[in-house]
Amino acid sequence: MNSQEFRNNLLLKRPRYAVSRIPVLDAFSEKGSKSSDYSRFGPYYEIYIYAMMLGIKKKQRLPLPPRDLTKDFIEIGKWKRDSSLVDFLLMVIFTQTDDLDIDWNELEDMEVDQLNKVISKVVTHIEEYANGGLEYLEKLWEKGELDSSHYMFIDLYNN
Amino acid sequence: MASIINSISFKNFFNYYGDYDTTKYDFEKGVNVVVADNGAGKSKFFNAFLWLFYDEVLDSDDKKRKSVKNFAVKIISDKAKNETSIGETVESGIKVEYSTGRYKFQITKSFSATRIGEKLSDFDSWQITMDDMEVDKTDHVLPKYKPVYDANEKQKIISQLILPTLRQYSFFQGEEVDKMIDFSKKSSIEDAVRTLTNISKYEDIAQIVEDITNKAYNDLNKQTKSTSDHNDRLDSAIKLKESLQVQLSKENEKLEIQKELYEVAEQEKNDLEQNFANAEKRKELDDKLSEKNKTLRRVKEEYDTFLESINNRFFDGNFSWISLGFENSVLDFKHKIKEFRVKRYEKKTLLGVAESPNDYFTILPANSPDTVTLEQMIDGEHCHVCDRPAEKGSDAYNYLLKLKNRPNENTTKKEFVKNDLEDFFGNLQLNASPFLNKFESIPQSVLRTREKELELKKRLDKLSSEAKALKSRRKDILIAGTESDGNDNASNIINQYKGSIRRTEQASSKIERIENTIKDLKSKITNTDKEITNLRPKDIPEGFSISYDISQDLLEATHKAQERVFDKMVSLLESHANNHFQNLIKYNDIQGGFLKFAKTPSGGISLDYTDDAGNEVSGASEGFQRMKKFAVVMSIISANTSQYNYPLLADAPLSAFGNAFNKGFFDSIPNVFPQSIILVKDLYDKDLDGKLTDLGQKLMKSDTIKTLYLNEVDGELPQIERTTKIERRK
Repeated sequence: MNSQEFRNNLLLKRPRYAVSRIPVLDAFSEKGSKSSDYSRFGPYYEIYIYAMMLGIKKKQRLPLPPRDLTKDFIEIGKWKRDSSLVDFLLMVIFTQTDDLDIDWNELEDMEVDQLNKVISKVVTHIEEYANGGLEYLEKLWEKGELDSSHYMFIDLYNN
Repeated sequence: MASIINSISFKNFFNYYGDYDTTKYDFEKGVNVVVADNGAGKSKFFNAFLWLFYDEVLDSDDKKRKSVKNFAVKIISDKAKNETSIGETVESGIKVEYSTGRYKFQITKSFSATRIGEKLSDFDSWQITMDDMEVDKTDHVLPKYKPVYDANEKQKIISQLILPTLRQYSFFQGEEVDKMIDFSKKSSIEDAVRTLTNISKYEDIAQIVEDITNKAYNDLNKQTKSTSDHNDRLDSAIKLKESLQVQLSKENEKLEIQKELYEVAEQEKNDLEQNFANAEKRKELDDKLSEKNKTLRRVKEEYDTFLESINNRFFDGNFSWISLGFENSVLDFKHKIKEFRVKRYEKKTLLGVAESPNDYFTILPANSPDTVTLEQMIDGEHCHVCDRPAEKGSDAYNYLLKLKNRPNENTTKKEFVKNDLEDFFGNLQLNASPFLNKFESIPQSVLRTREKELELKKRLDKLSSEAKALKSRRKDILIAGTESDGNDNASNIINQYKGSIRRTEQASSKIERIENTIKDLKSKITNTDKEITNLRPKDIPEGFSISYDISQDLLEATHKAQERVFDKMVSLLESHANNHFQNLIKYNDIQGGFLKFAKTPSGGISLDYTDDAGNEVSGASEGFQRMKKFAVVMSIISANTSQYNYPLLADAPLSAFGNAFNKGFFDSIPNVFPQSIILVKDLYDKDLDGKLTDLGQKLMKSDTIKTLYLNEVDGELPQIERTTKIERRK
């Protein structure tokens, strides 16, 4: 597997989220109802990315429920197409070698199926941090601790 | 001599609780002011005069006049009613004292109410007995009042205070001012002029003279016919005159019709005038409003889009908010990729060494010697490095060849890992570069975003408050008494208005043509008349023709006099009205226009409001409109040679028109009215120590103000405890 194949395999993955997170996803993205006193995210992947990065920041990692209680959405490769965003995210993720339990040089010597397992691991990593981040958001939301402002997401991110 | 009200007092009259001597206002010649807040007795004071003049009071609930007898229970002070037990009687009344040059009069109107039921305000709980009106009279020499018994004389004494025909100009309340002269009805000005001047006498004289002339002419003709000596030429001259006269009367009829058309169109124009001004203003506001709303919508959209896009800044490489706090990850990545590269290089090298060790252990460093030197050494079969020969085919020669081919060897890359991921990691770093260098600028970028939002919000708020202001201004302008539809109605009125102007113009030009024809006919008739005189038989007694001649001259003279007096009156009215108007508005910052009186083609008086250049001004504010009316009424009164002998009694004549108008008003009224009693609330300010506004305090010091009273009611108390307290300040 060369670099291009590895990248392609990774970008074709569709991360999943727990069905139970749909209300919070809807509340914070435009897929949900309009008009509110805070600014929302656009498509699902935006709140998903935000939640994942927040999860990484706040070290909130949470496994997903069994597969039939989850749903997938668009491939990683289609998140904010033609932009540097996904590269940046992968940079951040691949830096977490301890967490992922990988060694970059070792990857180069793996068999294809082993490497595919690593790709799955990366996706699980993404899913679990996103899930952790969503859980974190949801708790604040339920407790009414999110201050409804247009800047609540950046403020929360900055803290 | 003018009638001057000396005092008015009340007994348990509405909130004026107590007996006549405790609730009394003394007034003097000149300006008297009663200052009272809403509900502090202004209208009740006014009601006393309504009772005096008409035996009625105004029901403040439905703004209708009610007869005192039917309304009695409501007239009695609630406090007084409350203090009256069942079976007891309470009295309520008003007492006015006024004087003329010779006499002093005192008029009392009152009734008694006996309580027969529990419920205080119930009409069935009280039995009302109207007392006879008491009128007492004294001359200034004798101090003692004597009662007047004769009912006619009593009525005359009341009428003399303010003549019934003059009351609309001298006794009014708030918006009634607007009705005293209705500029939209031309007859209203003429009525006022007729009521207040002696212009109608000239019309009477003209009528009499005309009758005399007709009689003289008929007599003369009768005389002519009775003499036998008349001839054909005379006959045909008389016939010609008769036919000319028929034509004249036809033309006169046509003239009347055109005048009537003119009147109707003029009336319509006047009726629409206010609406037209409003319609125009409203249309202008509508246009402005729609422009403003357009901008508002655009900015609102911009603002909404901006708000929606705030979170985009996380994912947009130009802002890269998502990278906030990940500096260490980036450093870590850079470190890891370096390490990765070193390791894989080592791996590669080790692999290479294992396969062909000689390739990796050379004495010479890479690229040394350079290619040109190497070629020289090969061609010369001599090594310049160690200065030894290197013949073709020798080991040394082959080594030089090998050195020369070094780069080529390197390009043939060998697979040394199963999965070459160097590009994967390298490209991540390369591609992600927009997100890698903004860490320090993100807080600044968040701040700028907030600033931009605030700026947009501020703009939006400003626009929406401007739009709101326009809307409320638009709402203030009613069109044709309706508040419905906007544009359609407005342009409809504009068209109607323009139509009426066109019709007045048409009628006016027709009137001019007919008048010319009439003039022609008249001169023809005059000439025919001369001819007739020449042809008349000489034996007619001279008296007949002289009488006819004189009466004709007299008729002409009377018409001319009437016209002259009328013209003079019009120009006098105009100069007086403008004088008063300028005085009334002199404290107002906005320059007022001129009041222009003119004779209409139909022979009436019209009033226009023009600017310096003589253009008609429309849409002046309500304050100016009311001042125009005062100015006209005052001019009609003051232009009259005889003095106006009655007081002005006005309740809230200028409410809410502002200080400048009030000041001008108080300054001007003594010029016309010998006495005025003005009830105002505008000078009251409950938050100030003296309860009087700045203007109120200034008026106190002014010489023109003779008395100033302040009414106060304790609004905290329940209605059945409330009384009006009268405090004389000056």
